[in-house]
Amino acid sequence: MTPSNSIIEVRGLRKQFGGLKAVGGDTGVSFEVPRGKITGLIGPNGAGKSTTFNLISGVLKPTAGSVFYNGEPLSNKKTSEITAAGLSRTFQTPRSFPTLTVLENVVVGASSPGEWLRTALVGGWRSNEQDTLEKAQLALNTVGLAERANDEVTNLSGGELRMLEVARQLVRDPDVLLLDEPTAGVDPGLQNRLRKLLLDLHEKGTTLVVVEHNLHFLLEIAHQIVVLQNGELLAAGTPQDIKANPKVVSAYLGDEHAA
Amino acid sequence: MNIEQLILATATFGSLFAVMTVCLNIQYARGGMINFGTVAYFAVGAYTYAIFTHEPPSGLDRYVFGFDFPWYIGFLAAGIASLLFAVLTGWPTLRLRGEYLALTTFAFAEVLHSVLLNERRLGNGSVGLSNVERIDFTQFGLADKYGYALAAVLLLIATIVLCRRILASPYGRAVDAIRDDEVAAQSVGKDVQRMRFEVFLISALPIGFAGALYAMITTLVNPMLFTAEVTFFVWIALVLGGERTIKGAVLGTIALVAFEELIRNFHFESVRGAEIASSIEHMMTGVIFILVLRLQPFEKIKTWRAAQ
Repeated sequence: MTPSNSIIEVRGLRKQFGGLKAVGGDTGVSFEVPRGKITGLIGPNGAGKSTTFNLISGVLKPTAGSVFYNGEPLSNKKTSEITAAGLSRTFQTPRSFPTLTVLENVVVGASSPGEWLRTALVGGWRSNEQDTLEKAQLALNTVGLAERANDEVTNLSGGELRMLEVARQLVRDPDVLLLDEPTAGVDPGLQNRLRKLLLDLHEKGTTLVVVEHNLHFLLEIAHQIVVLQNGELLAAGTPQDIKANPKVVSAYLGDEHAA
Repeated sequence: MNIEQLILATATFGSLFAVMTVCLNIQYARGGMINFGTVAYFAVGAYTYAIFTHEPPSGLDRYVFGFDFPWYIGFLAAGIASLLFAVLTGWPTLRLRGEYLALTTFAFAEVLHSVLLNERRLGNGSVGLSNVERIDFTQFGLADKYGYALAAVLLLIATIVLCRRILASPYGRAVDAIRDDEVAAQSVGKDVQRMRFEVFLISALPIGFAGALYAMITTLVNPMLFTAEVTFFVWIALVLGGERTIKGAVLGTIALVAFEELIRNFHFESVRGAEIASSIEHMMTGVIFILVLRLQPFEKIKTWRAAQ
């Protein structure tokens, strides 16, 4: 795969917490995320999926190895800079801003010029604000939370919070969206909406990386699947390859299911 | 009891301290930063004003700096010095959170207090600088006591306008988001370190100006005026008024200052009587503080309003 085809390249990535080798074991994990495609990241609990997300988004710094985004290393960038460069993510445990309303939680996702002290003091941010509000409302519509716009975030359910996080990243128009277990705790109706949303985003050219335990959901939409086990790369390939891979079946479902 | 005196003193000192409470409100309620060294920025403002406007040392004077500038230069310098002190103290400490930041800022204030007390070359040590340059309000046809009350109220209004303007903007929203969840705020591109630092700096500026005005009013700067008691006073005022809103911060401070001034306004027959009154004043402040913490009236009002 030539570099221009992959938007994220993970090379020899390792993360240790004390003596615990969370990601990469001794040699490091390497894989690529093809531009404009949907990549699934799967593995049993504790496989290092969320840690990998944290390493890519800069929340954690790798012990060794690096992540390249559009060919540039992300090692020395702050999370906010990585996000500003177009790489958005959601969290396994949804994070929200409890003192803001549902709509504000989404609006704050956009990068407004009024977030600079100078603009806030001098003024002139109001013209942008209307656009941002409309965009946020649209994003809430997309995830099915339009009617909750003025509600307090603390009144949302776990599944709704997940959707709220997605909406907050949607207003950023990210180039890459990393979703950490987006269907966990989300009812089937919303899951269908989410599937449609992800396919729409894919149509628009957004690259998606999805950590998911719901294999059916993932196999339907993903173009490539990366499998981690105990922090190391077990397999990577098309959904068909992965489904047929006995190592993956054994890791995921137990040995008795392996062919 | 002199009612006019009571009102003027409350307006003057109430507004001066309310400037600090409002700034603390921004740092704490919005920015999530616990600053237990508020008095330091106040002291830096007061001392800078005094040093910039004082006559050069002569005779037996132990202080070294006295620039003899007019009051407005000293006033500006006070704000800038407070800002610079915030840079100095904020840069290394703002990566700390919660009580760790509280302890560090407290320590900074104590170090400053100790320096002012022991370094005679700076501000005459424990003697302080007296006869501090004042604005002559009579040239504007205003008696001094009205002039200073007006100046203090104007400074408070300017501070409120500045804070409102910043916090009602997307900037304020981002600051709220950072206080609620730093990691999530970073994940939507908010530069947490920059914004926390900016909030810390911008709220130090009015405190410096308040310090300068305080020096003019008391005509004296002395380490004993700038002890941790000032910090605790504004914190208590903030809690009394309800820490979430600017209105609460102002009302809490004015109420607390009015209460103190009221006690001071009584005519006592003996020194002993005044001493007892002063102790009772402290005790009462403590009791009210505990009651507010225990009963949480502001939370109850909020819930009650929400239920309406």
